[in-house]
Amino acid sequence: MDLFLQTIINGVLIGGILISLTIGFQLTFGVLHVIDFAVGGWVMLGGYAAYWLVELAGIDPFISIFLVFALFALIGGAIGPLIYHVRTSRYARPDLMALAFTFGLFLLMRGGALWLWSYNSRNVESVFSGEFLTLGPVTIPLLRLSAFLMAIVICLGVFVLLYRTRFGMAVRAVAQNRDHAGLMGVNVKRVSAYVYGLYTGITASAGVLIATIYSVNPSVGIRYTLFAFFVAVLAGLGSVGGVLIAGLALGLMESIVSTYIGTRYSLLVVFGVLFLVLLVAPKGVLGRGI
Amino acid sequence: MARKISRRALLQGTVLGSSAMVLGAPSVFAQASEKVIRCGVVTSLSGDNRFGGNLTRRGYDLWAEEINKLGGIEIAGERYPVKMFYGDAQSRPASGADAAVRLIIQDKVDVLFGPYTSGVTLAVQPISAKYQVPMISGSAESPNVWLPKPAFNFGMIPAVDLTSGDSIKVLAESLGSKAKTAAVVGVDEPFSKETAEGFRNGVQKTNLELLRYELFPANADLTPVISKLKADNPDIVAVGGHESVFINFVNAAVSLDYRPKALIMHYGVTSAAFISQLGEKANGVLGVSVWTAGLPYRDDLFGTASDYSELSFARWGTHPDYTEAGCSASGLVLQDAARRLGKAPPWDQKTRVELAKAIADTDIETFYGPVAFAKDGDHFHNNIKPVPVVVQIKDGKVVPVAPSNASEGDLLYPMPGAT
Repeated sequence: MDLFLQTIINGVLIGGILISLTIGFQLTFGVLHVIDFAVGGWVMLGGYAAYWLVELAGIDPFISIFLVFALFALIGGAIGPLIYHVRTSRYARPDLMALAFTFGLFLLMRGGALWLWSYNSRNVESVFSGEFLTLGPVTIPLLRLSAFLMAIVICLGVFVLLYRTRFGMAVRAVAQNRDHAGLMGVNVKRVSAYVYGLYTGITASAGVLIATIYSVNPSVGIRYTLFAFFVAVLAGLGSVGGVLIAGLALGLMESIVSTYIGTRYSLLVVFGVLFLVLLVAPKGVLGRGI
Repeated sequence: MARKISRRALLQGTVLGSSAMVLGAPSVFAQASEKVIRCGVVTSLSGDNRFGGNLTRRGYDLWAEEINKLGGIEIAGERYPVKMFYGDAQSRPASGADAAVRLIIQDKVDVLFGPYTSGVTLAVQPISAKYQVPMISGSAESPNVWLPKPAFNFGMIPAVDLTSGDSIKVLAESLGSKAKTAAVVGVDEPFSKETAEGFRNGVQKTNLELLRYELFPANADLTPVISKLKADNPDIVAVGGHESVFINFVNAAVSLDYRPKALIMHYGVTSAAFISQLGEKANGVLGVSVWTAGLPYRDDLFGTASDYSELSFARWGTHPDYTEAGCSASGLVLQDAARRLGKAPPWDQKTRVELAKAIADTDIETFYGPVAFAKDGDHFHNNIKPVPVVVQIKDGKVVPVAPSNASEGDLLYPMPGAT
């Protein structure tokens, strides 16, 4: 029973990490209709930014996360118009061109990280590193708990932004129909750039927490790109609400399968479920995907 | 659209091309008749594995510099300097194979020194066999390299399944009745899986009870694995993986309030990055090394293991690990085989086959330890002589703790902070 409770907690906390990783990715897909291969790259760079801020300035990741958000939102805001330009170009298959663009961006990030930080893994220490709460037989790592809470806060924040602000209305309008939104006076290019900036800021902030929980090296990006993609597929591509359920479901599944069937089969089962979802319910768990 | 080439351009090209051929010809002939031993190094000088690749290069280069200070390798009373040629594998097996072909065809090397990773070694191995150029691999550790029974490749470092298995035996003997149970986990990928299998086989050869053997995917979250280990509570936990997995494992274990009495991992533990990144949390973690500077080995070129370590430090600014040592010792193997062969370079194909046979018959003592290559079995042409040293991290330093002839400190058991 003790192991079962710990397994459930482990699963929920893994889910929190997956949610924080995917929420921005999902938002940008909804608006720009771009599957951003660079999502793992933003996670990695966020982790490295936190590493540098700890090493060079002694700033704890739980403070630097706000700086990282601001910095990467600015960078994303600058790159957003480029992606918008590629995505709306008149050349054939702009969707594939955008995919190739983000893939190139990802390779650039990885190469840059190798050059700057070498291949060695970097451990990002925080005041919460190694700290945990003990509730009866269950141990809850504080870093993972904070990632979970952050995921919830980000989800709520994104919902408030989307459904309680004029900017959110513009974002939803662009997501529904870019041309019509433009005709209604929405500056589609600017909204797209802001959304991309928001996405990179959120994802790099998730990277800060992920780097403190695990570690960061130039190769981790591809792992997080895959996970973000899997959560997004289960949630339904473009469905922000579905991310919460899909992230928790995948986290629990990974934990339960690892504990009771075998860790070796955990990702196999997760991928198997994803294939089934694609076949049976391609619009995701809430049926709201594209 | 086809472009016309003017007669003038054609004539210019012909004259330039002919001149290049005429001017280049003497150097080609000189290349073939030079009284030097041409050694090709195929390793990862760029890409993901460039750090390790450059370690191998340092090891090979240090040997070349030292032997050239004496005038070169002595063959039948005359000394022949060694000349090093490099091929960058770019951390990719296919590029490694291309680099090996270039070294053999263009640079006409007499012998190859092998790559850093097993993946690149597996790609280069058929090239060395095809052109019958002996290759001495100072680094590759996967047992898969030796399974095809490579006729021209020889490995200095015992395969990881041997070192991990032997290290568990060494550890169990040192702990005696204090440790009764063990669990082995590892990443489900070639090198790490073989390490974990070696640990498991080692446990089965001791009196330890194996409570768990489990592999996990490279991308898996480690909290479920650690929760299960915590529930099992074995005395010794052995982990097969790479440095990043080790860091994640230690972090995840600490965050779940779990530290086993003994935690043994493989070679990544001895890397400066592992220790510096984990800081206090690395304290007490056990690792495996094939060679340390404190071992009582010696040879005529480098002196003792300690002398080699100091020489390497003076040359490169860092103390060598066993990869560098294995690579430098590769040169000693070539020296010994060439001396026994007794034929002056350059070596033609027939002589290279004889050289490979001479290398296969190697049985020498070096600063790196004894070297003799297996003549049959699953570790064909792998140097299976060295006994692994169990090391422990103590206050940021790697201290050999077992076996007794290599020990420089007490084995901390249970490790600091064990739950």
